[in-house]
Amino acid sequence: MEERGFLGKLAAIVPGLAMMVLTLYLLKQVVEPWLAGVAVFGQKGYITKSIGLNYVLMSILVGMAYRNLLFRGRIPDWAAEGFRTTRLFIKTGVIMLGSLYTIQSLAKVGGLAIALIVAFVFGTIFFVMWMGKKLGMDRSMVGVMGAACGVCGVSAAIATSPGVKAKPAEVALAIATILGFGIMSMFITPPIGRALGLSDYQFGAWVGTGILNSGQVLATCLSFNPAIAPGTAVAYGEIWNVVRVISIPFVVFFITLWYWRGEAKEEHMSLWGILKSKFPIFVLGFFGMTALSSFDMLGKEGSETLHMLRDWMAWIFGIGMVGLGAYIDFGEIKKAGGAPLKIGVAAGTLKLVLSLVIILLFIGKEASF
Amino acid sequence: MSAEDKKKALTVFKTDRHEDVAACFFAGLAVVIVLSYMAFFLPSVTIKAPVDGKLTEIKVKVGDTIAEGQPLYVYETKKKKFVQGQMQETAVTETFKSKTPGKVLSLKLAAGEAFKKGNGLLVVEHVKGTLP
Repeated sequence: MEERGFLGKLAAIVPGLAMMVLTLYLLKQVVEPWLAGVAVFGQKGYITKSIGLNYVLMSILVGMAYRNLLFRGRIPDWAAEGFRTTRLFIKTGVIMLGSLYTIQSLAKVGGLAIALIVAFVFGTIFFVMWMGKKLGMDRSMVGVMGAACGVCGVSAAIATSPGVKAKPAEVALAIATILGFGIMSMFITPPIGRALGLSDYQFGAWVGTGILNSGQVLATCLSFNPAIAPGTAVAYGEIWNVVRVISIPFVVFFITLWYWRGEAKEEHMSLWGILKSKFPIFVLGFFGMTALSSFDMLGKEGSETLHMLRDWMAWIFGIGMVGLGAYIDFGEIKKAGGAPLKIGVAAGTLKLVLSLVIILLFIGKEASF
Repeated sequence: MSAEDKKKALTVFKTDRHEDVAACFFAGLAVVIVLSYMAFFLPSVTIKAPVDGKLTEIKVKVGDTIAEGQPLYVYETKKKKFVQGQMQETAVTETFKSKTPGKVLSLKLAAGEAFKKGNGLLVVEHVKGTLP
């Protein structure tokens, strides 16, 4: 691809981005209100309330349809640059989510969330390493799968790959496998949560611990409860998820050490070096936003300013959800079959079930914040 | 980045780190736009209902000047709470206090009327430089 200037790059983003924005606009402003008025089994709003088919889920489904049906497996060049802004929107939304919390509320969630997440992250990594050895997989593939299953899919897999010298195909396989499992989780966890009568707090904690990918945690929480406000599933799920994302540099460090020890090679990487090059700094933006909110600099809780900020957040996330769907390629998931699929499904299912059991046993319906 | 690498990349930026910085910038920009609009350009503030409920008493009238923290209306709403594994619903009466100073321009509902979360209840003239 020839080098373009700044304006050229910006222009290349426009068509794909316009497609995502237009899709979201139609789903959020036209389709969802229409579905909310449709009566099924004599009940108005059955589709949106009981099935939970809101604009978030529809955005992902339409994104998937674009990739797999309309584009036949490959986003065309005219739209590709625009769709590549997907993670930018998701990260921007996560930063803005910081406005839902105050330092006081984060201090309260701290101990329990950190203990649970550290146990689950490293427990999953050890499980993947053990299973990878049993199935005779490449150490580099096991390293990437461990990070992907333990922390949060795409970013952890990508962050770990240089340290374990993973090939691009291995990274793609790991990502496809965990995204595949995540899609399944996205559709089955909200009905399970409703059937078990989980509160927003419990559902957020479960999904934030059990689902492997940040975007999918977000989408699942929003499909359980589309409201974005303190005390909703997305507020709890994301705080759990952010604690998990913070562990990325430590996980990368741990897996890299494990890989190189096994390869009997010397690699001089300091913890500071890993932190400097791998730490996901958008997480700092999240905490910056929380600091602003703690000092009431974004308007008081319940104020019109915060309402407007949350409206913007919903749109930013929505665009990210259309893009997220468009990165789900059925062909890649099919190709990822075999050992990675077995490990991904085993680790994912175990994590999802175990975290549900722990949450049902030890986490109350109501949050302490 | 080669053309082939670019095709595989999940981001329009050179690296994930650049994408993180851009995300911080965009979030900051969104906040600055919203706060500037709300503080300096918004002509009037429509105060919306925080939950579903029913107005029982309106404590202000059109033309009144209100201060931050002043009670505006009393409403009845249902609170859901988990008690010993059971969802309990209780009717509670709450007072909505103003988050913003200003002059009441209009009242959208009368006492006794029901409202849904997000419905406009009253319109207040916005004092420039404050966050409503």
